Amino acid sequence: MRAFHAAVAAISLFCAALASVLLAVAGLIIVWMVTWRSLGNSTSWELELSIFLMVASLFLASPFTLLTKGHVGVDLLPHYLSSKNAQRLQTFTHFLGLAICLFLTWYCFQFALEAYIKNDRTESVWAPPKWPLYATMPIGLGLTALQYVSLLTSPPAKTEAY
Amino acid sequence: MSELQMGMVILVVTLVVLFSGLPIAWGLILVAVGALVSVKGVMPLLNIPLVIIDELASFALLTIPLFILLGSAVGSTNAGRDIYESLHRWLDRVPGGLVIANILACGIFSGICGSSPATAAAIGKAGVPEMLRRRIPVQLATGSVCAGGTLGILIPPSITMILYGLTTETSIGRLFLAGVIPGLMLVTMFAIYAWLVSLRHDKRTATEPVVYYTLSQKFEGLGRVSPFILVIIGIAYAMYGGIATPSEVAALSAALAVVLVMVIYKERSLKSQWRIFRETMRESTMILMIIAAAGVFSYMMSLLYITQSTAEWLVSLQMSRWVLFAAISVFLLIAGCFLPPVAIILMIMPVLTPVLEANNFDLIWFAVVLTVNMEIGLITPPVGLNLFVLKGVVPQVSVKDILMGSLPFVVIMILFIVLLAIFPEIALWLPNKAMG
Repeated sequence: MRAFHAAVAAISLFCAALASVLLAVAGLIIVWMVTWRSLGNSTSWELELSIFLMVASLFLASPFTLLTKGHVGVDLLPHYLSSKNAQRLQTFTHFLGLAICLFLTWYCFQFALEAYIKNDRTESVWAPPKWPLYATMPIGLGLTALQYVSLLTSPPAKTEAY
Repeated sequence: MSELQMGMVILVVTLVVLFSGLPIAWGLILVAVGALVSVKGVMPLLNIPLVIIDELASFALLTIPLFILLGSAVGSTNAGRDIYESLHRWLDRVPGGLVIANILACGIFSGICGSSPATAAAIGKAGVPEMLRRRIPVQLATGSVCAGGTLGILIPPSITMILYGLTTETSIGRLFLAGVIPGLMLVTMFAIYAWLVSLRHDKRTATEPVVYYTLSQKFEGLGRVSPFILVIIGIAYAMYGGIATPSEVAALSAALAVVLVMVIYKERSLKSQWRIFRETMRESTMILMIIAAAGVFSYMMSLLYITQSTAEWLVSLQMSRWVLFAAISVFLLIAGCFLPPVAIILMIMPVLTPVLEANNFDLIWFAVVLTVNMEIGLITPPVGLNLFVLKGVVPQVSVKDILMGSLPFVVIMILFIVLLAIFPEIALWLPNKAMG
């Protein structure tokens, strides 16, 4: 079981590192776009690609955000419960979180699959296919669900290590 | 069940779900899905992925992670300490100079960083231990930084102003400008309060011998801070000189900040870069996920006609402008105590915008009122984020002391909202002057 937790944490960490690179690249593309435009040239793919990278980075960083307790919640109710009941409530909310992530993963997977089959493209001049962007949703959310499974089966872990 | 009754039920259910500790993003989706399925069946669920992607795939939204990257790059260094230390050297002869230096440092840091907890953490981790060491009263030391930190969302760049702009379709440039003078006024009011308290305190107790600084010492600190001041000036110039859009400015300044941090603070290792990006990813994923979820929530509210009915109902009450304004302010104050600013703006503004427009309230002016309200929420229990950020920074001080120290600043902010209501020009003069 410990190996499973470690593996899931490693995947989350890897995805967050990848997401960081994507966001950095998105930023650099915009810097390039501004520079290129100021030299009197016109831009085409830059805007769309930077948006794609940002959205992809968001979903890829989601499991790590969960691992490091970054998805904020308002824990008002647990505050008024005994520690045992608060623990039970936490387990319950983890289950809810898992269910929501699975639900979203399934619907987003169908959505991405449909875009792939129909070969949907954006309406810009560049017109890249939409499915790689859509595919990051089920991947990120699916891994977030996996992270929930890991949380549900493990004792409270230290998150500072990452 | 009428739409209004349905709205009430959804409000109550949403609050219960959110208060359970379930992450806000999942909570909003859970309620949205529950309401959609119980009223319209499973068909509308098929649209959810499209709603999410439509909400997220916007160039304007890129400002959020990039401004967070800017703040987190600067926040990861000792820039916070340098800013307040150099200010302190200039204020060495003023009673409460160190406290005032911290408040001013919060104001300056807010000009680089768009988040309040990040501002409180950056200035607090260096400033508060130093103030305590110099026997500044605990409540004043913590309260001033706790409240000063809230300026992060008022002084541009501001993450909540960006969200407000996206939700209400108002100009982000204008909103940023609207926050400048109110931000400066609040800094001044906070500083005057700190000065008055310190005057009384200094008379009663002799603190440590005051250290005076020479002129060269005063300029020494400025050297390290000036590049960051240049970033602030650069942001303002690029944005209002018509050179770049907010997202482009965010990218340019974030890239510049990362380079500056590498050059000045020698944060070049992969480890320190990861520290910067780790915080950026966590913070922006959290906010963007709430934005996506709030998009689904708004979709549900609109499909079930609740947004429209509630807005129509509020307009039909025919309240006088100021009664309405007072009611909204009180409501926001209460909501601010329980929910983070991001959630409030995304959930409440779609309903409030038509009501405000029907009553001829200026949406830019209202953004400032709303932001000051949110700032109060950040330093009041039970969900005052800044209180807990500061507690994390100085664990030896009790939350009660931090809270008691923050209360006078809450009063100042409430007074400021009244001032804003009487003189809307405080917020509107600068954007109107600069952008016509």
